[in-house]
Amino acid sequence: MTTSLLGSLAEIVGPAHCLGGTDRAPFVVDGRTPCGVVLPSSADEVARVVTTAAAAGVPVIPWGGGTQMSRGTPPPDGALVVALRRLNRVVEYEPGDLTATVEAGMTIEALQATLGTRGQWFPLDPPMPEAATLGGVLASNAAGPRRHGYGTARDLVIGLRVVAADGQLVRAGGKVVKNVAGYDLVKLYIGSHGTLGILVDVTLKLRPRPEAEGACWATFTSLAAAAAAAAALAGSELGPVVLTLLDERAAATGARGSALPAAGGPALLAAFDGLGRTVAWQGDEAARRLRAAGARTVDWLEPAGVARALEVVREPRRLVANPVALATASVLPRQVGPYIEAAHATARAAGFEAAAIAHAGHGIVTLLLTPGETPRPAVVTAGVLAEWRAAARAHEGHLVVEWAPLGVREVCPVWDPPGAGLALMKGLKARLDPQGVLNPGRFVGGI
Amino acid sequence: MSSHPGPDRARLRAALQAIAGLDGVLTEPDELLVYESDGLTIFRATADAVVFPRSAEEVAACVRLANAEGLPFVARGAGTGLAGGCLPSEGGLVIALTRMARILEVDYANQVAVVEPGLVNLHLSQALAPQGFYYAPDPSSQFACTIGGNVANNSGGPHTLKYGVTTNHVLGLEVVLPDGEIVWLGGKVRDPQGYDLVGLFVGSEGTFGIVTKVVVRIVRRPSAVRTLLAVFDRLDQASGAVTAITARGLTPAALEMIDQITIQAVEDAFGAGYPRDAAAALLIELDGLDTGLDEEAEHVSDACRESGAREVRRARTDAERQLLWKGRKQAFGAYGRVAPAYMVMDGVIPRTRLPEVLRSIERIATAHALRIGNVFHAGDGNLHPNILYDPRKPGEEQRVLAAGAEIMHACVELGGSISGEHGIGLEKRDFMPWIFSDADLATMAAVKAVFNPTGRCNPGKMFPTKKSCAPGEIAYQPHPLEASGLIQRL
Repeated sequence: MTTSLLGSLAEIVGPAHCLGGTDRAPFVVDGRTPCGVVLPSSADEVARVVTTAAAAGVPVIPWGGGTQMSRGTPPPDGALVVALRRLNRVVEYEPGDLTATVEAGMTIEALQATLGTRGQWFPLDPPMPEAATLGGVLASNAAGPRRHGYGTARDLVIGLRVVAADGQLVRAGGKVVKNVAGYDLVKLYIGSHGTLGILVDVTLKLRPRPEAEGACWATFTSLAAAAAAAAALAGSELGPVVLTLLDERAAATGARGSALPAAGGPALLAAFDGLGRTVAWQGDEAARRLRAAGARTVDWLEPAGVARALEVVREPRRLVANPVALATASVLPRQVGPYIEAAHATARAAGFEAAAIAHAGHGIVTLLLTPGETPRPAVVTAGVLAEWRAAARAHEGHLVVEWAPLGVREVCPVWDPPGAGLALMKGLKARLDPQGVLNPGRFVGGI
Repeated sequence: MSSHPGPDRARLRAALQAIAGLDGVLTEPDELLVYESDGLTIFRATADAVVFPRSAEEVAACVRLANAEGLPFVARGAGTGLAGGCLPSEGGLVIALTRMARILEVDYANQVAVVEPGLVNLHLSQALAPQGFYYAPDPSSQFACTIGGNVANNSGGPHTLKYGVTTNHVLGLEVVLPDGEIVWLGGKVRDPQGYDLVGLFVGSEGTFGIVTKVVVRIVRRPSAVRTLLAVFDRLDQASGAVTAITARGLTPAALEMIDQITIQAVEDAFGAGYPRDAAAALLIELDGLDTGLDEEAEHVSDACRESGAREVRRARTDAERQLLWKGRKQAFGAYGRVAPAYMVMDGVIPRTRLPEVLRSIERIATAHALRIGNVFHAGDGNLHPNILYDPRKPGEEQRVLAAGAEIMHACVELGGSISGEHGIGLEKRDFMPWIFSDADLATMAAVKAVFNPTGRCNPGKMFPTKKSCAPGEIAYQPHPLEASGLIQRL
């Protein structure tokens, strides 16, 4: 980075919040080192930083908690990291409205703590809430087990503001839960991986904390039986808010984490929340149906146990000790069982082991690849990922490589080959970031 | 009013008939009358032709023809919209989707269905009912409005308080882009990679292209329901109850408010069982598993009584429930007993500001010597003040439009929005700068240019009108307030 750019940035954010040298180490991704890291304290500072970097021809990498930075093609070398963690204030919170506006650098955990003091919460549970920020979660459209009952970010966010590539502040949506004025740009920015704008604040739909929570932890002797039981619950009137299927390895971790007896097979976590009386009924009825569906054991978890179990299933990366790669496939819900079984077979045939965890009602399957008896070269790892992708695509699905060594991603791309919408997506990028300032080259289709 | 030189009508008719069949085209003036307005009859515009394609390929051919002829074009479902969104305000072609009304596929196991855009919303739920499923977004016009229209407007309805609006139930779209290309966005499988083009398309009010297939989520019907009617002697008690219910951590499936003017009209029209002397009533629905619903209903009733409800009734039979809902869903039609015409407004405020905005609406009504009936989704702050008037009385229409604009302004000042459900369309395009900055509007215009670079697809909607006209942009149309001399553009 040139001295003059460094100097300009230091003038904007203050020299203490402009990092160089070894301080950049935590922000290195795939061996690509940023030219510097700035930590602005306001939307206005973010805007000025972006304008300054753009004028110098330096691309910008927005950075929240850094929990999803592996998700994408490697970033350009020598870009400027704009870290948002100092934008962590509550802007507006009226509990009677069940809405809140918070700055994008606030972590999920800090948000929930604030809302909890008023008996409310934001029902999105992405991985690593202690580090993940609202901005990063929305930009990567991260979600967790409660997506089954509550939806994902696009169902829960009613407004946001971004700093656009030209430094302008742009508002999408508003502050009210029903709003169809203008185009729904909230949907555009969510999941855009920082390529169209840097999120600076978000307005969220909140829920009252439920009176009661409980979950069935059911173990099975076969994946097929577990998947069938999940499908039955998903299609029933019982209305679980979590419906997560774990294969044998994932279930073993889940059981340990929840202080439950070792599963010895696949497991299903079905959680319920609401009025105490209703949750008790749901638990009894679910347990009955799960046993009738062939569950070997069914344990009922009270709120503390539910929290522990959800902490485990929310963190796919920690399900196994030594993952070689991690990918998430989207398939039709009824395909989940057969898809996981095929994925295991593919992994074994290539000399690996695999573990799988799925949000069964939505068809979201996270697969982890772990070493077999002998280490395999990157190209073989890539081959497994490519086969997993082909298997998803065979049934209208797709797969994203969430994490894998660079050598693997050079052979098996992170993103699926782009589909029919690519021209529109490229058109949007060209209009909203013509100079390619924001996170260039990391996204679908080379965007 | 068409601002383009009229195409050779006979030639256009022949070209359209070659696409949609001899009985698929209307060009005679008396035939075109029906298509001059949607549900907001204060605005009218005449098309050059209306065509009824039967497939995505025929829609694409109509679009290509329109482009070749330099004609603007706009899609139309049932024409129940309330913002003038499907008006051919620049003349040109209306592409009516009513012949594309099939359910193509229902996959109960994976809880999705694929339907054509002209399918009536309620017909979809009725088709799914035998299996215990339904399509959740339930606009009050659902007995007539179409899924395609719902997609264009991101339609809501009373039960969207709990279940979300159209965009929360659409997974994929086949669309004809304004250049005539047919493209699939999204699909049956969740979390498509790349930008959320489906989410962007929903609510784009027909300006990004024409939907030809919709992949929707279908869900199990709730197993049980409790429907309550809370009766209040004062309007502010009713709005206080809305906050009280929320404060108790309760999430009703629907929470609707009806005021006295509306109650009396509804009772005259249907005898729905609403008490005529009430200042306001809340229609509250709870649904889900039967266990616990009585307890929830008790909590809701307590909240209403604590707010001053003089009575809280529970519908005892399904017939009683249907009647209460009929009163709510057909309230607009009942106004015909009170006045020859009404203008439906649509605004949103944060629900805690409900008492204030209702007082403002009363003030505005008095100031303009108009009667306003309120029947709306109190639970999510989505207002529908209905301005009752007689279009034959000189000056009345102008007062209606002026009052409407003031109500919208009041919503904005309270932190709300200018449309909760009905869309911007023609009606509110000039109010957009009240809630969006130049940068916001420029971003939307940039997005529109990606889909609709010529501007020929549904021109004149959503965005503020301009005085100057560049090639490909819409010609200037004075806002009715301006045309009537009430306001002046500076």
